[in-house]
Amino acid sequence: MPNVNLSNHLIQTHLLISSWSYNRKKESLSPDLTVADGRLVTVPPPSSQLDTRDKLWRLHSALLQCRSLLERAITKEEEELGGAEKGDYQSQRKTVRDRLSLLLANTGELLKATDGTAVLTPSLEGLEIDGPTILFEVKLWIYRIFKELDYWTKTAITTLQGLPSVTAKERGRTTAVRRRRSTRR
Amino acid sequence: MCIYITLNYLFLTVCLCVHVFFFFSVPTVPQQVSLSPNLETQQLTLSWLGGESTTFDIMILRTELNETTVSVTADKISGQHQWNWTSVEPLECTSLSVQIRSRDGQTTSDWSDTHILPGMDLPSNKDSQMFPQDRVVSVGTNTTFCCIVEEGLGFGSIRYRDLVMNVTRLSRRSYAMTQINQGPSGVTGTNVFCSSDEKTLLNGAVVFVGYPPLPSDLVCETHDLVSAVCQWNRGRDTHLYGKKRKTYYTLNGRDCTEANQNQKWSACSLAQWDGNFTLVARNLLGQYSLTDSSELSLRVRPVAPANLTSVVRAWNATLLWQWKHRGYDSLALICQVELTSHWHTTTRTFSGVGLRSVIVLDLRPDEDYSIKVRCGVQQNFWNWGDWSGPLAFRTSIDIPDAPDVWMWIERDNTGRLMWKVSIIIYYYYSIVVIIIIVLFVSRNRQRLNWFDLKKKKKKYKRLFKSKLTAYMDGGFPLSWQSDANASCGYVVEWHDASCQQDCAVEWIKVAAENTNISAQSENFQPGVRYTLSLYSCSSEVPQLLQRWEGYMEELVPSSSVPHLSSNQQDSNIKLSWGEIPLVSRRGFLLGYHIYLNNGSQLMLLANVSDPTSRSYTVKGLPVGSYKFTVKAYTSAGEDTGATVSISLESYSRFLFNLVIVKCYNILFSIVARVKKAFYPDIPEPKLAGDWSRTQGPLDVKPSPHSMVHIVEEPEWDSSKEALVVIPEEDEDEDETGDEPVDTDEPTSLRYYNQVIDDRPIRPRFPDSSASSASSLDSARTDVTYTGIQTSGNSLGGYRPQMQPGSLSQDMGLPAPQAFSEPQPTKGASFGGYQPQCSWHLDSPVEAEESGGLAPSLGSPTSVASTQFLLPDSGSKEQPEGKGQGSSSATTWFHNLLSSAKP
Repeated sequence: MPNVNLSNHLIQTHLLISSWSYNRKKESLSPDLTVADGRLVTVPPPSSQLDTRDKLWRLHSALLQCRSLLERAITKEEEELGGAEKGDYQSQRKTVRDRLSLLLANTGELLKATDGTAVLTPSLEGLEIDGPTILFEVKLWIYRIFKELDYWTKTAITTLQGLPSVTAKERGRTTAVRRRRSTRR
Repeated sequence: MCIYITLNYLFLTVCLCVHVFFFFSVPTVPQQVSLSPNLETQQLTLSWLGGESTTFDIMILRTELNETTVSVTADKISGQHQWNWTSVEPLECTSLSVQIRSRDGQTTSDWSDTHILPGMDLPSNKDSQMFPQDRVVSVGTNTTFCCIVEEGLGFGSIRYRDLVMNVTRLSRRSYAMTQINQGPSGVTGTNVFCSSDEKTLLNGAVVFVGYPPLPSDLVCETHDLVSAVCQWNRGRDTHLYGKKRKTYYTLNGRDCTEANQNQKWSACSLAQWDGNFTLVARNLLGQYSLTDSSELSLRVRPVAPANLTSVVRAWNATLLWQWKHRGYDSLALICQVELTSHWHTTTRTFSGVGLRSVIVLDLRPDEDYSIKVRCGVQQNFWNWGDWSGPLAFRTSIDIPDAPDVWMWIERDNTGRLMWKVSIIIYYYYSIVVIIIIVLFVSRNRQRLNWFDLKKKKKKYKRLFKSKLTAYMDGGFPLSWQSDANASCGYVVEWHDASCQQDCAVEWIKVAAENTNISAQSENFQPGVRYTLSLYSCSSEVPQLLQRWEGYMEELVPSSSVPHLSSNQQDSNIKLSWGEIPLVSRRGFLLGYHIYLNNGSQLMLLANVSDPTSRSYTVKGLPVGSYKFTVKAYTSAGEDTGATVSISLESYSRFLFNLVIVKCYNILFSIVARVKKAFYPDIPEPKLAGDWSRTQGPLDVKPSPHSMVHIVEEPEWDSSKEALVVIPEEDEDEDETGDEPVDTDEPTSLRYYNQVIDDRPIRPRFPDSSASSASSLDSARTDVTYTGIQTSGNSLGGYRPQMQPGSLSQDMGLPAPQAFSEPQPTKGASFGGYQPQCSWHLDSPVEAEESGGLAPSLGSPTSVASTQFLLPDSGSKEQPEGKGQGSSSATTWFHNLLSSAKP
């Protein structure tokens, strides 16, 4: 089991969660307006049937898509909208990216520890990675990326909090099977 | 022309009709009507074929609401008629239908077929939309936005930023609003939001409101003497950012992609210097041009020195750096070195061709420094280059040079060691310990011995007569012959010539190859005589080579001649006076002026040009009372003068008085000898402490405050010549006939003009006349005559041997004619006192007998004198005839008293 400090994750993800609201405030989007959800991350639907490994893989895949989207969003934002702005938003955006990468690394380690094999990189095929061209839609796209990040960060928290007991059960189950097999022998 | 206005429920519609009348035929209907929209400029271009007509009615209708919009005439262009119409709303907001008809006066053709420019609110486009998108406009302009609501949803509001705007309905799904006088946008533009009646964001747009570029201050310069680097001020913020909206620059047609967008100043380079430079700045709102022109040589700004290194020493450091351009090798540079230590920054400036190293002087040892360098060109200086990176170093620890030491021997044989310490104040953290090592190797007489030095000084005194030197250009110019023994150079020493003790001595060391200097000091004062001595420096004791005397500025004497007296000799009057103290001369005495004082005016009788003269005889005066004034003079003028009065008597009466005086003197001497034989002086008690005479020239007692005490080693043989304090009497004997006559010689006060008996000096109380009362009957009472000139007040127990002026009064001689002005000063009341004539009065009783008068004729019981002084028999002004008798009597009397010397 890798040394994963959940409290660190919680602290780090707080910033990821708040980033979209910061973006919203920056763009003068009134709080009383509702922005329709537009999912950008494509993963298999959640199910209670998923085992720990599948949950981790699903989480890891979603975070990986989030990072790809965020990288593209940052690039597009620099090209189309920024260039001169070197303020809090930029530094916070960089911090979000760094912490997302750390979260990805940790979930990858967890996945490897659970599966025992190398982590397969999820395919980004079909991901709307280029984004729109109209600036208002670009802003909405970036906003939605932050919303996705918000969603998957919360999912990561939930998943990681439930992980120790799950892995313990899994370990126990695996041990029982091995014991039965060895008894048969 | 007609203008008619129709008001519908929402729209204000203007309809214009222009009529041009040619003839009354029916115009043809416009054919081949076409519409060409420009969505960006919201401009619709109409073109058609209109036949012969020159006037047309055009009707543009919002299709859905069937509104008449505008009807205007159009011009004919090559048979093709064309007209541009700019819409307030974006052309996408809703569909427009266009019809055209020809007009001929009041006669019009039928309307052409309707041509429709479809909007984006067609039912086939079900999504919500907003126009215009990503528009860039100037600050202050008005922009109309329209929102096409998604099919099936209800319109809510349009917000400009977060401000809800008033809207106009354009069609079933299209709503518009106009923002007037827009202010500049933020970096990411200004957002316009369209929301549904359920406050769901439907769509939006971004508008960028900014300015066209307005750069300024284009300046081009070269760093490498080949290429050009141009800088300019970007000017006001355009508020337009991003790849599409930012400002682009070209310099002489070349794109300046390296121009930094985020700085106030931008720069762009050209590979070759072109004397004329044109900068063009462009953005979506406009462009602006700047020009600059100059020769390359006038615009050289060196690069920052590279690879700064240092070679550090204690008091200085060599800085070295490199230039990355070869052209600098022949470039005359001026460089600034900024030196920072302890938060204190100083700047030094250096120059040179291709300068790449400097020596920074006046650093302090063991000190941290931070240094940086920048340079400019010397010729046609344009601007300082960039500073180099800072270089930090710490200076070395220094072992200071031996201090500049000189030694001064006081009159009491005390050695005073002096040194100059100015350089050590720069040590901040170093502990400076000055160790004084005084070597007295008395075993080896060839080495340093200050008694030797003193003795040699005295001998040099005989050998060297001081030269006079005139102060000029801020110092005393001194030059001398090179001395072969001066292996380590020379020392020039100077001091106040009249100083007696603890003199302020200054000196300067001169290299062996120099034989002239200008002795300079900020302590030189006008009216003060300075003695300047040149010593050779070698491994032996310094040798006195030359001596000078001079004044920084000569003044008139500050006091007149002392002890001015008059004496009748035969029918003449002899005026005698004492020597003006050195400190009062304030210049080299050139002589004396003798005046006859008539009370109201002075009549010059004589100019005694010999400053050594002490008397002058006035001849040929008739009997009567006279008043004479004697004034000494220097190059600066004469003093205020001393005055004496005398009553000239007839010659017979003068002889009578003289006989009486002589008899009295004989009687006096007999009494003295009897007292000496039967009532010798009782020695005075010896007391500890410094009881030196007031101005005694030789005080052998070491001063308790001397900085260095000469300690004699036990092995030292005091009988050795070098260590024997030479009795001044011996020296005086040596001096007889050998000593150059120089009454202005200041060192005479130190080493000469003093007679010391070879017996131990007894301590004396200042009022020795009282304390020595017990010595009245002592046969050992000593009288020491030193030849010191003192004032009458300071004489203490001493009384002059002869007081001619007073004698005349005591003897009851006829008083001279009364003078209107007061008698000479108290000092002068000892009129006849001469330095040679002081007696040590040991008998207060006799002092009382003398009536307490200073010019006492009291009879000391013991007299010791090495120079007995009576009227000068050798005076040149002594009359030939009658003087002989007087002289022989004096000689007899002299011999008689000399035999009384123990």
